[in-house]
Amino acid sequence: MAAVAVKYPAFQELGTEVLAVSVDSVTTHKEWHEKELSRMVEGGALYPMISDPDGKIGHLFGVYDAKTGLDLRSHFLIDPQGIIQAMEILAAPIGRNVAEILRQLRALQHHQATGEFMPCGWEPGKPTLAEEGETPSISGKVWKVWKPRNAF
Amino acid sequence: MGIQIGDKGPDFKAEAYYRGTTREIQLSYYRGQWVVLLFYLADFTYV
Repeated sequence: MAAVAVKYPAFQELGTEVLAVSVDSVTTHKEWHEKELSRMVEGGALYPMISDPDGKIGHLFGVYDAKTGLDLRSHFLIDPQGIIQAMEILAAPIGRNVAEILRQLRALQHHQATGEFMPCGWEPGKPTLAEEGETPSISGKVWKVWKPRNAF
Repeated sequence: MGIQIGDKGPDFKAEAYYRGTTREIQLSYYRGQWVVLLFYLADFTYV
């Protein structure tokens, strides 16, 4: 979550609020923030750290793990209409990739603004594919406009 | 069947630690802007 705190300004630039959730109490969030997060990241975490003591929110999103009593590491990208546009759930030993979350957000925002399709590995500045209305016409011709190297 | 892409994010209301204070947070309050909702295992962990 420290990595998310570092990149918080990038989320803000995308007009996006970060909401962090774990089963810890508000008091524990405060202690962790004071003792650790604020030492790792200047200013600490500027996003709300939500307390989900009984796993109710995790259960709503299908990420509450009753075996451990914890909310699994996961992210959900929710658009301005409140619709879930992306989600990822990870096994406990695996950390997330904050840069990838930002990439997904940029791709989703670009798609909603233009109607274009965002191919594999798209980053700002890389080619997109045709607008939705033109989709049938690009079928079988993707090789002409998009190269696998664009994915990396 | 659980939550799916295209579903409305289920609304919730809960207490949060926010910039030194305790604040009540409601998901639907953020309608009109993008939200990244991040779940994590526990405070004081490193992954």
